[in-house]
Amino acid sequence: MLPALVFYVAIYVYPLSRLGAWSVYDKGFTLKFYTELFVESMYLKALGNTLEISLLVTAVCLILGYPLAYLIATTAPTPRRILMVLVLVPFWTSILVRTFAWIVILGNNGLVNRAFMATGIIDHPVKLLFNMVGVQVGMVHVLLPFMVFPLLSVMSRIDLNVVRIARSLGATPTRAFLHVFLPLSMPGVAAGCVLVFLLAIGFYVTPALLGGPGEITLATLIDMMINTLLNWGLAATLGMLLVAVVAGIFVAFSSLMGLNRMIGAGGDPT
Amino acid sequence: MKANGGPSPGRAALWIFCALLLAFLIAPILVIIITSFNATPYLEFPPRAVSLRWYGSFFSSAHWVEPTLLSAKIAVITMILATVLGTAAAIGIVRGGFRAKRAIELFLVSPVVVPIVVLALGLYFLFSSYHVLDTPLALCLGHTVIATPIVIVIVAAALRLSDRSMELAARSLGANFWRALWFVTIPSVKPAVLSGAAFAFLISFDEVVVAIFLGGPDATTLPKRMWETIRFEIDPTLTAISSLLTLIAVLVLICVELVRRAADVPDKT
Repeated sequence: MLPALVFYVAIYVYPLSRLGAWSVYDKGFTLKFYTELFVESMYLKALGNTLEISLLVTAVCLILGYPLAYLIATTAPTPRRILMVLVLVPFWTSILVRTFAWIVILGNNGLVNRAFMATGIIDHPVKLLFNMVGVQVGMVHVLLPFMVFPLLSVMSRIDLNVVRIARSLGATPTRAFLHVFLPLSMPGVAAGCVLVFLLAIGFYVTPALLGGPGEITLATLIDMMINTLLNWGLAATLGMLLVAVVAGIFVAFSSLMGLNRMIGAGGDPT
Repeated sequence: MKANGGPSPGRAALWIFCALLLAFLIAPILVIIITSFNATPYLEFPPRAVSLRWYGSFFSSAHWVEPTLLSAKIAVITMILATVLGTAAAIGIVRGGFRAKRAIELFLVSPVVVPIVVLALGLYFLFSSYHVLDTPLALCLGHTVIATPIVIVIVAAALRLSDRSMELAARSLGANFWRALWFVTIPSVKPAVLSGAAFAFLISFDEVVVAIFLGGPDATTLPKRMWETIRFEIDPTLTAISSLLTLIAVLVLICVELVRRAADVPDKT
């Protein structure tokens, strides 16, 4: 374990702490980057965008992912295996490949627009890319499995006999689900939402490729600071802001729900 | 195994909903694969004429092949580093007898949720002061931080399931800690170690953000080259590369499944 710890300190903790140092340094100690962050409207807008996109993505992933996880958890082993493969293949396919696929599908000259124009539903291409629609579709597509796996790891441990007993005692299927299964699955809901939200907050590839100028997030702003505006101090400060948000949520929830369940995808046995 | 008794309208609706959702997950990948066989540069779907010209354009151009070879090299080194570090860490976490275990485990898997942009930014500052930016070394180190937690999670899970009595038996028969570790503990979790290694390879091979921040003209990986291309034009070669990358992901998943099955069978007999 020691080598891993040493490696982490050198390549993970040290660079992040240097980031912290950069964020308060400009020819001496300063908090000007932090004050700038909360004064300048562009940065506040990026923060607002990031939170808005992340919350929406988390909500959509939960609404879509819960029924899927429920089906996988309650179906027979053979269909379960097939369903799992259909979730795992996209999950392990490169994010870049999937984002590129959405450009091809949603672009002005893309599949969706061509199909609609051919059928005469619309006569001008609808803008589906480089706006909120593109970002949402792309991010939900990437992050959905991260919702499904934690849900599944909790749901597959729920004893379905408990639901059957509720039914045999006269509960309707809906009541049995709402009062028995749903409450038992709540740890999975919490774990999935936290994981998806954390990943969404720091997400870079998809917002950068599918978003437009209106969808600047903290992550794409960091890239701009480094490559276009050359403002290292502010980039470091934005990075620290992201890390602070993520670390806060991570530490708060990991003690509540057990970390292994949060990572979930590894087929946690505990 | 049905929660609400026999087939019901609700159950049917659930199946339909999930089928649509899975179609949403799979469709983009299928569209790209089908589009990659176009004979024209217009990304027609379905293609009117079929050819392998975009695959040819990928394999015949150093512009694409060189980054691919670099990616493969970096992925192999990352795989070795992450597997060794991750397996050692997992053994320490599961078998070690000390108090701060939970906290250390939390710390060791935390890179999973730390935004990669921030990690890449930190490494960018660090490496620029040591002049290792734009080198394969920088990319290997960055990728190892990202890949190690996956190895830790997979191997630690297997170690928790594995039977410790064999290990203790080996120790009581006189094997020292390291011998027991090498001849008993590690073989017992070999499938998990191999799976972890396969995923570490894939993570590195597909990784974009660290590659963009730390790479440069001298160290351009395949995802970095793809990224640059996507931003400026839609080159149909990208569809062929995307299909090949999907194929690699599927092959890795098949390998992991085969390793798991091979490990299961002797246990049962």
